[in-house]
Amino acid sequence: MRYVVESCGYCGACVAVCSNKLLELTENEIIIREGCKNCGRCEKVCPLGALISEDAQ
Amino acid sequence: MKYDVIVVGGRIGGSISSLFASRNDVDVLMIEKRQEIGSPVQCAEGTTFSTFETLEMKPSKKYICSEIRGAQVHAPDGRTMKVEEGMTDGNILNNNTISEGYVLDRRVFDKYLAIESAKVGTDVMVKTTVKDLIRKEGKVCGVVAKHLGETMEIKADVVIAADGVESNLAYKSGINSIKNPDDICSCAQYELVGLDIDPNLLEFYFGRTVAPGGYSWIFPKGEGIANVGVGVRNSTETAYYYLKKFVSKFDATPVELNIGGVPLSGPMDKTYNDGFLVVGDAAGQVDPITGGGIHITASCARIAGEVAAEAIKEENVSSMSLKRYDELWRDEFEDNLKTSFKFRKAFDKLSDSDMNALAEFFENNDLEKISKLTTLKFLGKHPNLLKLLKDLL
Repeated sequence: MRYVVESCGYCGACVAVCSNKLLELTENEIIIREGCKNCGRCEKVCPLGALISEDAQ
Repeated sequence: MKYDVIVVGGRIGGSISSLFASRNDVDVLMIEKRQEIGSPVQCAEGTTFSTFETLEMKPSKKYICSEIRGAQVHAPDGRTMKVEEGMTDGNILNNNTISEGYVLDRRVFDKYLAIESAKVGTDVMVKTTVKDLIRKEGKVCGVVAKHLGETMEIKADVVIAADGVESNLAYKSGINSIKNPDDICSCAQYELVGLDIDPNLLEFYFGRTVAPGGYSWIFPKGEGIANVGVGVRNSTETAYYYLKKFVSKFDATPVELNIGGVPLSGPMDKTYNDGFLVVGDAAGQVDPITGGGIHITASCARIAGEVAAEAIKEENVSSMSLKRYDELWRDEFEDNLKTSFKFRKAFDKLSDSDMNALAEFFENNDLEKISKLTTLKFLGKHPNLLKLLKDLL
């Protein structure tokens, strides 16, 4: 999963849906820990399109 | 460092939990990851009068932008239906409270609640992120927090997670809190200036081209200013895409962009554990139809603060003791939330033409005088709506 920090609104919707709990919202950044399977769940709920599946690039 | 209660999150759920715990004479620390409580706004800012009854607080002009006396619903084909004061008794809309209440300035309101909490003794740490829970023999007994690069352990008898939709703490405590993406409403909102709108009327717009899986809204804040937003689910385009499209019809200027994810899955199956409670969006305490949650969270957070304090005084913060929180808030809200979730699932199946047909029906019939025969004739012409009604009943 590619994270475009400039497009992030820091809402945390992506964190709520990560099935492996690999995402964390700090004050102004989403941290993606190792192990992401690029499942696209977070991309589906991001209001600003800040998360992009690797195969969609 | 050791407290009786640590509350994680400094928005409405966190401030109210900490306020009511502190009022019950226990030592409370509230931790907020952002450097400013109340910012950024992640909400359309509408709430009901009941929020203030829960708080036993007189509403103040300091944080109330406008009073709402009705709502207007726009069907996909442009037909409108007005829901005014006094029209919702006995109707599901009454429980979901979309038609009467206030539009708040959350930035001011959230800070005000945090200040009220601090005044009765709550310690507050801002710009501090909780990274993990401390657990001993399975029981939650504190948090690992990070402030300006410094990591610290803070012990507590009870940890209340009020850290929003992005919460990872419930999961870390052993409660399954992973949300289905189909149940998350992805939202984007502008605060627009220069609108010619009714200052006391909420407006909701439905339709696949406006907001697939959700709706668009206008929540007036007075002086021609309003929160104008869009919530979507299961959409190939982002909420922001639909927001830009929706606001293009207004000759108004955005002065703020707000983003949010709203959990519409109904409440979690379990909201407590040994030494641990979860409240607000983190617990799914949000109405699954409207996405509104301030009044529910206010009540649940008050219960959480009071139950935590009571459990500490009884020197029993076990799962069995804290279960009282879960029972009390479910007594108050669970039936309504479950009904609302059922309706939401039914609404998900409505096509634009179904919604237009419903709007036409309500437009041509007086809501309070609709006969069973008229309803049956209407449903006979619309088998999809009849099927949905059967599913609901």
